Amino acid sequence: MPGGISYKIHLLYENVSKYWYFGDFGQFDYNLKMADKYLVEAKTLFEYKQYLLGYKALQKSDSYFVNIMPNLAKAEKNGKNALKKKAVLRKASQKHIEVLEKMELETPDTFIWQPEKALPTNLYLKRDIEKSIDIRRNNL
Amino acid sequence: MKNIMVYLYAIFLLLFSVFSYTFIDPNLMYLEDIYSGFAFDNRFITTFLYVIFISVFFIFYGSFVWLGLRKKLRFKDVFILVSITIGGLIFSYPAMLSYDIFNYITTSKVLFFYSENPYIIMPIEFVGETFLSFTHAANKIALYGPIWILLTGIPYVLGLGNFIITILSFKIFIALFYAATIIVIWKISKKIIPLILFAFNPLIIIETLVSGHNDIVMIFLVLLSFLLLIKKKIFLGTLFFVLSIFIKYTTILLFPVFLFMVWKTIRKKEFRLEKVFYYSSLLMIIAFLLSPIREEIYPWYAIWFLSFTFLIPEKKLLLYISIAFSFGLLFKYIPFMLSGTHAGITPLIKSIVTFVPAILVSFYIILKTKLWERIFSR
Repeated sequence: MPGGISYKIHLLYENVSKYWYFGDFGQFDYNLKMADKYLVEAKTLFEYKQYLLGYKALQKSDSYFVNIMPNLAKAEKNGKNALKKKAVLRKASQKHIEVLEKMELETPDTFIWQPEKALPTNLYLKRDIEKSIDIRRNNL
Repeated sequence: MKNIMVYLYAIFLLLFSVFSYTFIDPNLMYLEDIYSGFAFDNRFITTFLYVIFISVFFIFYGSFVWLGLRKKLRFKDVFILVSITIGGLIFSYPAMLSYDIFNYITTSKVLFFYSENPYIIMPIEFVGETFLSFTHAANKIALYGPIWILLTGIPYVLGLGNFIITILSFKIFIALFYAATIIVIWKISKKIIPLILFAFNPLIIIETLVSGHNDIVMIFLVLLSFLLLIKKKIFLGTLFFVLSIFIKYTTILLFPVFLFMVWKTIRKKEFRLEKVFYYSSLLMIIAFLLSPIREEIYPWYAIWFLSFTFLIPEKKLLLYISIAFSFGLLFKYIPFMLSGTHAGITPLIKSIVTFVPAILVSFYIILKTKLWERIFSR
């Protein structure tokens, strides 16, 4: 979870490991894995009312999720049969939507995050969760 | 007499190559024109022929060692015989006893054809891939070290996308390492007996030149590393030692021996080669005996310790046990060959044939040398 130095090291490891997952299918695996991971992180942070961190995690999950489909398109362009991967993505999208819909029910529409020594941040949580759901719906 | 023996040996190897084609996998569409199904439909005859072939292989082995001991086999003769061995078996069917060569090729294809990381993507993920029908470890990520996978790029590219040429290319690639290992053994020992013991050992020949196992690559690199350390070349010795580890990881167990050699070299002190190879052999035997932790004791794992044992033939007990292992391990294929199943009593019989020859030889030597008398007289 965010906050500690070990989390920063972990983020560095995540960024480096992107290169280990080379190839179209490798990138598919990497982006899906990361999208899953950050969705779980967002869900947990939302449950603990850590909305700003949760919001950031959700945005990260979205940013990884949008990378998945282009990699499959690239795989097909490179002559690889991506039907099985597409089925995996469809199932993953359904599960993500299921989790996000549940999160939407338990989260306030908006939230003003007031840090101790900084300006407050307006978080439009419901709107952002809906945006995340829409991103996943594109793959159904 | 020696000439007749050479001709007989060449004919025998060609016959063994022909025999190997009775094992063609029914799913290997690239060889469907010569598929007979003989080995699967006539299990008893196949097993009987296999036993005969292996026995004759060992008779030739014993004869070559015998000729070597009587100084009737010189380096030139060994060179000719090695050439005959490679030539006679290079065209043999590689998946007669193990499907590993197909795994090597398919893993290589994942990296060099599909441009995917074989440590992440399994071959089975490529729907419609024709190699999947005969690749047995298609549902696993790469099992070997990165250096091996990178090296396989050479025979894979030389295969020009044609499966048959790729198979041949892999076999030639492995054969080159077999030949190179023989040269390194010669350079280290400068004696004919270690050369003969290694070059004509039936297990080493079959598992390397027929099945095309990569263990020989790992062993070549570690022996080359040791040769370089003997010549006080620490950097190159270290480099090849590391390369060897990243073929199949097993040689990491030789790290204490490697460290000992480096330390002695730095301190400008001499070290006894006999000791180096004796402990290397023992460490490789430990790795061999521990392999059931990962999977099981496969016959080709014996190459790990045989290579070192044959460099110190004066260690008789170790030598005879090693040869007995190489004999028993080749018979380990028989229970499956005969029954067609890995279940039931097959694993038990496999264990018996693996260990019984070595145990019998140990008892024989202990009794012959009256080792027990020495032990109890203390």
